[in-house]
Amino acid sequence: MLVLVIGDFHIPFRASGLPAQFKKLLVPGKIQHIICTGNLCTKETLDYLRSLAGDVHVVRGDFDEGLNYPDQKVVTVGQFRIGLCHGHQIVPWGDVESLGSLQRQLDVDVLITGHTHHFESLNRDGKLFLNPGTATGAWTGLKTEVHPSFALLDIQSTTIVIYIYQLIGDEVKVEREEFRKPA
Amino acid sequence: MNFLGFGQNADIEITLDDADKRKTAEIRVEENRKEKLLLYYDGEGVSGKIDIKLKKSGAKLEHHGIKVEFIGQIELYYDRGNHLEFTSLVKELAGPGDLTQSCSFTFDFPQVEKPYESYTGNNVKLRYFIRVVIARRMSDIVREQEIIVHTLSSYPDVNNSIKMEVGIEDCLHIEFEYNKSKYHLKDIIVGKIYFLLVRIKIKHMELAIIKRELSGSTPSLFQDSETIAKFEIMDGAPVKGESIPIRLFLAGYDIAPTMKDINKKFSVRYFLNLVLVDEEERRYFKQQEIILWRKGEKLRKGQPPPVTNAMQTYTATSTVRADPQEDASDEED
Amino acid sequence: MDEQEKLLEECMRNVKQESFQMKRCMDKDRLMDAIKHASTILMELRTSSLTPKNYYELFMGVCAELNHLQIFMLDEFAKGNRLTELYELVQYASNIIPRLYLLVTVGVVFIKSNENSRKDIMKDLVEMCRGVQHPLRGLFLRNYLLQETKHVLPDVADAPLASSDNGETNSVLTQSGTVFDSVDFILANFAEMNKLWVRMQHQGHSRDKVRRERERQELRLLVGTNLVRLSQLESIDIEKYSKHVLPGVLEQTVSCRDAIAQEYLMECVIQVFPDEFHLETLSTLLKACSELQPGLPPSLTLSPSFPLEDIVALEVALVNLALKCYPDRTDLVDQVLQNVDVIFQKQHVDEVPGDSAVCKELAKLLKIPLDHYQDILTVLQLPNYGKILAYLNFKPRKEISLYVAHNIVDHCTIISQQEQVEALLVMLTPLIEDHASFPVDPTDEEFVEEQTVVGKLIHFLKAEELDQQYLILGIARKFFGNGGIHRVCYTLPTILFAAYDLAYSYYLSEAEDPKWSKKCQKIFQFCHQTISVLAKLELFEVSVRLFLQGALAVSRTPFENNEQVAYEYMTQAFSIYEEEISDSKLQMMCVLLVIGTLEKIECFTEENHEPLRTQCALAAAKLLKKPDQCRALVAAANVFWSGKVRGGDAELRDTKRVMDCLKKALRVASQCMDNLVKIQLYVEVVDAYSLFQLRGVDQVTDETIVQMLQKIQEELPTLDVSDESVHINKYFQNSLDQLKKTKPELPF
Repeated sequence: MLVLVIGDFHIPFRASGLPAQFKKLLVPGKIQHIICTGNLCTKETLDYLRSLAGDVHVVRGDFDEGLNYPDQKVVTVGQFRIGLCHGHQIVPWGDVESLGSLQRQLDVDVLITGHTHHFESLNRDGKLFLNPGTATGAWTGLKTEVHPSFALLDIQSTTIVIYIYQLIGDEVKVEREEFRKPA
Repeated sequence: MNFLGFGQNADIEITLDDADKRKTAEIRVEENRKEKLLLYYDGEGVSGKIDIKLKKSGAKLEHHGIKVEFIGQIELYYDRGNHLEFTSLVKELAGPGDLTQSCSFTFDFPQVEKPYESYTGNNVKLRYFIRVVIARRMSDIVREQEIIVHTLSSYPDVNNSIKMEVGIEDCLHIEFEYNKSKYHLKDIIVGKIYFLLVRIKIKHMELAIIKRELSGSTPSLFQDSETIAKFEIMDGAPVKGESIPIRLFLAGYDIAPTMKDINKKFSVRYFLNLVLVDEEERRYFKQQEIILWRKGEKLRKGQPPPVTNAMQTYTATSTVRADPQEDASDEED
Repeated sequence: MDEQEKLLEECMRNVKQESFQMKRCMDKDRLMDAIKHASTILMELRTSSLTPKNYYELFMGVCAELNHLQIFMLDEFAKGNRLTELYELVQYASNIIPRLYLLVTVGVVFIKSNENSRKDIMKDLVEMCRGVQHPLRGLFLRNYLLQETKHVLPDVADAPLASSDNGETNSVLTQSGTVFDSVDFILANFAEMNKLWVRMQHQGHSRDKVRRERERQELRLLVGTNLVRLSQLESIDIEKYSKHVLPGVLEQTVSCRDAIAQEYLMECVIQVFPDEFHLETLSTLLKACSELQPGLPPSLTLSPSFPLEDIVALEVALVNLALKCYPDRTDLVDQVLQNVDVIFQKQHVDEVPGDSAVCKELAKLLKIPLDHYQDILTVLQLPNYGKILAYLNFKPRKEISLYVAHNIVDHCTIISQQEQVEALLVMLTPLIEDHASFPVDPTDEEFVEEQTVVGKLIHFLKAEELDQQYLILGIARKFFGNGGIHRVCYTLPTILFAAYDLAYSYYLSEAEDPKWSKKCQKIFQFCHQTISVLAKLELFEVSVRLFLQGALAVSRTPFENNEQVAYEYMTQAFSIYEEEISDSKLQMMCVLLVIGTLEKIECFTEENHEPLRTQCALAAAKLLKKPDQCRALVAAANVFWSGKVRGGDAELRDTKRVMDCLKKALRVASQCMDNLVKIQLYVEVVDAYSLFQLRGVDQVTDETIVQMLQKIQEELPTLDVSDESVHINKYFQNSLDQLKKTKPELPF
């Protein structure tokens, strides 16, 4: 089961579009679910995601104006409960301890957030905290060097294999991590 | 009005059977007037009812007998008094006696032979009518009711195309073809004109239908020509090698079948006249007789002919030859 | 007034009079009478007295009337009147000119009403038109035929021998025709028209030769239109072209043995068909050229006296040819555009109507250079491009603008020169500014899509030089600033983020540019003004967010005086929030964003940081809803803990104020009337307490935490069983588990 985790596009405000290298990788028919951390900013990007997979989950980012997404969402994929929130609501931004409170509140195995434009994947006390970064490498005042990134989760029973795609220069670098649900 | 006994004391009314259901046809009665009458064919019976109404009730009408006649006659205009009846059937309705009140009769002429088609020409008229006569001592009371007769023909066994090459030496050579020589009245004349040599400046070309009526007999022989149709088929000057299509719908014109030597009294014949007019208004023409006939109409009302009927074109039967032959009349207006 | 004008006027008057009668008959539904009047109108076209130019005028007038008749007949058909005999009835007309015009009119109505008759009717019409051998009248009659059949020509390429499982479909296809029937039809018409045209040369006195040649030049477009029509058949591929189209065209061209015709027709062939076709048929073309009359000079001008759409269509072909043969010669393309401009000026065309055929051709013409160069920069170099664009009215002009915008975004074309940016934005005006007659619907999907593309496009306005880039952003703001409330929200934020980025780039080039610091100040001034434009348009929420993003940008760009600028940005965000945002949900979101932002900003000295963080706590406490207050206070506590001031590397760690916030949060939670919400908040606050305890706030004792946990444990059973209460139980259990991991000694 392939789940695409992606977000913080900021099109057109901070980027003109998804990098061509990513577009080539993301082809319809391979991905079953999409989990999006928000900041699509226009319906066009949502339509694009919907063209990749039928099941698309989106939460509201701070620049998603006029679009009716929820602030938080819980999605169940296989044996995993996955929580989703953009993250600008959790202060300090990106702070894993503060996110922990949300993880417990949502009672999820995996908590996915965005906002920092910084890729992160952390196994903390048997829970996975994942931030796919920004798909377009969009500008942020929080850091100076931003690389476009997204994650692909291959979920097989109690295991998630996380593939991290990052565009560095003109090259796509892929890293692999594994997360097992504690028995 | 009854004045000094000369007026008529009775009205006669003739009502033909099925008058409301029977087909009608039009016929020219005067120069520009047409009349709609009931239509009959050869061999059909003619029957009906006669009502005689006395104008003054109580007065009696003395008569020498009442009869009904079916008459087919040819009338030559130059000889007004002398009508030739080629068909005459009579039925007695009542012997001599007195009529004291209005009365009715029925009549029936079964399977009447009607050999010719009703026709109104410029010098001759052929007509059929029912005549009721109440014979009287001073003046008969007469009432006539005309009918129209159409003669139907079947498809001609032989119907060759008309094809001819005509020309004036070193000046104009054309070949023309009409698809048939015999056309029914709703037919379409389809043809083609090939220009083999053109050294005159032609302005336009037209096809005319000419009706020629021949009536009487020597020494009182009358001939009358009438142009029934004038149909422009080409505008401008063609050059050598051009072929011009002809398509002329006869249904658009007031025509009758060709009639040959009707009762030795008259004939009506039709000609196609191809006329070329040059820039100096000189006319070059060639006439060809065509036979017109009346086709029995299949009753297929409500189903108009397919459009393709209106698109017939003529495909050549032979290649055009280059050598000139025959002459074209040259008539200067 | 000369003789000709008088004649024309009289003809036109007769046309008008009869047209009036015709329309009256239509109003009364008397079709046959209307046709009779149409026939009388058509009698005017029998004239031999008019010059070609005036005859053309008359022709156009008559066509307009026939168009009424055609529409009327189409309506009749649509009403179910089959009128089958009409095709026959119009042929009773005894004069050939009215007869054939009516036949074409009715024929096209039949085709439009029922495609099954199409093939036969097309054949019949082109054949029957042979009856007019007069060059001028014949050319116009056949032009009418060509013009009326324009949109009904079959354009499907079913091979005649293809076997089909479904016999019915096949037979329908044979009746409605294939592209082969269209080719036969046009070629037949072309051959006849060309013969008539050539024949004009040999008419009349030899002393009129010069005039005749001029008249012929005026009429040649009528002949060429046949070739244009062939080129518009989409199912003609190279094979069909070389086997069925070209041989017929060349045969006629060669055999007419007329130099004027040959020159023009060869040009037409080369212009109207694509060059791939010419490459494939090169030997055939060359062979034909060798058979032409000697001494043909090449020429590339077009006669201006014929339907504009056809002129433009030929110009389209010409541009294609120029681009194929000389891909680098932009001057040739511009020359063609200029030709069109000249022709339009001569004909006093100011604006081309939106739905007209000319408009379509013109749009096609304008798209060619875009498609070919795939590079707006080259197109911007064509001096006449803008002029031609200006002939279009708003809607099609907007369409081209959008096409340009897409072209830039799709091909990632960087526009790096100020003049280019300016020229481009002028070209894109229909996308950038409101048009009085076309009000904007901000929810309209097309509009959203269009503005999204415009927003994306701004990313491609990018100079290599930073100073240049600054100027470009200035130009962009000048243009986009006038876009009105529905557009600026797509464009101005994009300009802003580019400006934030630019400021940081100046900082990175610190070593090379001694004035970088001043320039950054200028940029943030520019940004401040830009956000104020949005705020003036009452786009408050986005203004708050952009000020906050700006504050972050300022904070990390250490130019001189950046602290004051950041402070200004923060206070602007605060004051807009306080004065203008009234929706409680948006208030909550803004407060969280302000708190989150301040927590990250490191450029403030204590002097400026203190009022800001105090303000955060106050704003949190002043929120309308208790749960919002509670959560915002917990968030604000973080600023007092991990917030940083300038100079000191360490976090603030103001435990007193942290405790103030947390206690207040707990108190607010306890004030909630709804038990569910209250307990939910309790758990959240306990989470926060234990988190700060872990971080080192020693005022939080185990005892406090145990007390709170006990309280929650007491209250939990009072909740009615519901999804929410199950959730809260679960949340509590999770928090408890977490706590046990860090503090196994706690009695839970």
